[in-house]
Amino acid sequence: MSSLVGFLSLVFAIGINFYLFLSRYIFKFKKQKFNLFIRLSSLLTLLSFFSLMYAYVVSDFSNYNVFQNSHSNKPLIYKISGTWGNHEGSMLLWLSILSIFSFFFSFTKNIDESFQRLTLIIQSLLHILFGLFIVFTSNPFLVNSILVNEGLGLNPILQDPGLAVHPPILYAGYVGYSIVFSIAIAGLFQNTDDEWLYVAKKWSLISWTFLTGGIALGSYWAYYELGWGGWWFWDPVENISLMPWIAGLALVHSLMMVRGEQAIKKWIVFLSILCFSLSVFGTFLVRSGILTSVHSFAADASRGIFILLIFFIVTGFGFLVFLLKEPKKSNALNLLFINKVSALVINNVLMIIATLTILLGTIYPIIIEVLYNKRISVGGPYFNSTVIPIMIPGFLLMSVAPILSWQTNKIDNSKKYVLAFIVLSVLVLIQSYFLNFNTWGFVGLLLGLWIILASIIAIFSSYKIKINIKFFKIINPHVAHIGVGIAIIGITCSSVFQNELDFNLNEGDKFIVNGKTVLFEKIETTNEINFQSLRGKFLFDVEKNQSKEIEAGKNYYPVSKMITSEAGILHQWNKDIYFILGDQKNNEWFVKVLINPFVSFIWLGVIIMMYSGLIAVSRR
Amino acid sequence: MNRIFILTPLIVLLVICIFSLVYLLSGKDPNKPPSALLNKDVPVFESSSLYNSKDIIKTKDIKNKKTLINFFASWCSPCKIEHPLFFEIRKKYPELYLLGFNHKDPPSDAKKYLEDDGNPYDFVGVDSDGLIALEFGVFGLPETYLINEDGKIIYKFMGPITMDILKNEIEPLL
Repeated sequence: MSSLVGFLSLVFAIGINFYLFLSRYIFKFKKQKFNLFIRLSSLLTLLSFFSLMYAYVVSDFSNYNVFQNSHSNKPLIYKISGTWGNHEGSMLLWLSILSIFSFFFSFTKNIDESFQRLTLIIQSLLHILFGLFIVFTSNPFLVNSILVNEGLGLNPILQDPGLAVHPPILYAGYVGYSIVFSIAIAGLFQNTDDEWLYVAKKWSLISWTFLTGGIALGSYWAYYELGWGGWWFWDPVENISLMPWIAGLALVHSLMMVRGEQAIKKWIVFLSILCFSLSVFGTFLVRSGILTSVHSFAADASRGIFILLIFFIVTGFGFLVFLLKEPKKSNALNLLFINKVSALVINNVLMIIATLTILLGTIYPIIIEVLYNKRISVGGPYFNSTVIPIMIPGFLLMSVAPILSWQTNKIDNSKKYVLAFIVLSVLVLIQSYFLNFNTWGFVGLLLGLWIILASIIAIFSSYKIKINIKFFKIINPHVAHIGVGIAIIGITCSSVFQNELDFNLNEGDKFIVNGKTVLFEKIETTNEINFQSLRGKFLFDVEKNQSKEIEAGKNYYPVSKMITSEAGILHQWNKDIYFILGDQKNNEWFVKVLINPFVSFIWLGVIIMMYSGLIAVSRR
Repeated sequence: MNRIFILTPLIVLLVICIFSLVYLLSGKDPNKPPSALLNKDVPVFESSSLYNSKDIIKTKDIKNKKTLINFFASWCSPCKIEHPLFFEIRKKYPELYLLGFNHKDPPSDAKKYLEDDGNPYDFVGVDSDGLIALEFGVFGLPETYLINEDGKIIYKFMGPITMDILKNEIEPLL
């Protein structure tokens, strides 16, 4: 029953969008009626999504999708997240988020009515395309042809609270760019005043903030769930999310220039189209199963071709409109060495080069396999040695960019900055010399610290310190950059200065980690609702009264016959101690311990960046 | 100059789409890397019959005949889906030896399953502890292997086989 409701409301929603699209040419109606229909179609899409969720919650195995991906033994939260833990459901989530964005956009005030309507019509077109994709190739409401009373379970690696929220937030970022795309295309068609740039800025900031959160959640999950001790693997799917993120960052910065009357409209439109194109391209790569990863569900060529077609239509349409209706009036840029405008231009160029570099690395295996029928994989070494060096000058520039002036190339207090930089360099050099010196470690630390220091100097020397909302809005760009600086320190330390220790242990053995004695207490096996768990219990710093207990082990999921590794992590503010329980051989357990310095700084930096994103949304 | 600059994204788009399309149409599936066992000798195994524990099958018993090995279990719903296809194979290729391995299943359940849905296999071997599956590198049920007369694995399929797979991938090898 719920499947029928879901399917019908999905189809009705597509129908309404079709009607709205035709309304531009045939039946014209008033603004209120138009908006009413937009909202109705959004609500229907959501109804469809929640019907599917209901089928998951009550374990309705007469729905084929539920049968394939759920199991009645699963805890409620994973039944709910099972809704989007599969291809069909996740595409429905995609569409639902698209309609939520249209819903909220229909409430936007103070913009030209016909502009708003055109934007929403472009959204409707996107809704139709993706809606048809779901109905024809990825219908989550199919009826199960065999009578069963149990499902096949969900990929156990996805049974994790972080992963339950990661896809919706990431999708909110990806799909949020649809509205930026629609705004830019509507802007090209109407070629009206520059009011739309302000609207675009708000929405691109919202999307970017969601995308940041989604990526961070995903990589945090990889950190503690995959049990490899790293948090970024240059996996194709990670790259796919990173591309619109960097392009979106370039877009947000370009939109800043609007404030300095230096709007380079052409470039902004290009980036707006690019961001959404990269999002759709990412959806294509993952959903077609072209790339292997934990994200790709069952591959099906017809789906791949359909979504490739959507990608081609959307991107091709976007760039074609861009080609034919190129924005005309653009103020000449006031480029000086070095003012805010030129810094923003350089930063944009660097970000686009980085995006293209990642794009090349990601699609290279596909090109090679088509041309030479060889399977290759492009991984960390390529990306680390290309993307990072490209970004470094951008980071350097970033540290001073907010204090540069729009009109002149004078920097206030320039002596103060030079002095601070020299002192800091010497300090970091001394510190690096006494610890184990590493070039990348030195560069990363210096960069991160310098960005933070320069931003703090800028805040204290350029503004009167007040504790009110307005002040926080003014210093927001600096705060964002402090977040980046903190994240850079975290990234550098946790990757360059990671320390790995291997042990072969019996129960009851003691060993030394980071100067503290650790007791390998015992191995424990228990039966949980939907898995069996094997845990090694460790007592960290056992000689003290307040020793900390750490559990590391594996889970075995009988339904899908999969084993997942569960790392035990002891979080301290300046490092994580990461325990991995390996296999048992000759009565000894293999235990790997990783010491990841300052890994928490990455998450802290990300939270600060997201905070800044939100503050910037409210700032005009 | 400006026009060329603006045309670039369209050209890049076209190139990416063409390559992706060719890739998709070529039917490659990166999720199914060729098995490490492909073109290797079938692993050494020994298993007793589900119906008579004294009846033993060994690796050398399947030498000199083409054999289709299928790992299945009564608790495995996808196995139920592919099950009827084995009767088709049985009918079409009477000389093909069909060997089923019952994976981690209580014998009573397995017998009931084969009673209800029929038994297409020439021999049903018991793999109660999953060790034979381990030797074959079985990832999840069902999995199907085709062994040629020389005792080499020439084909492997993960998941339930379908009519398409039978027609396009297995039959050409028979």
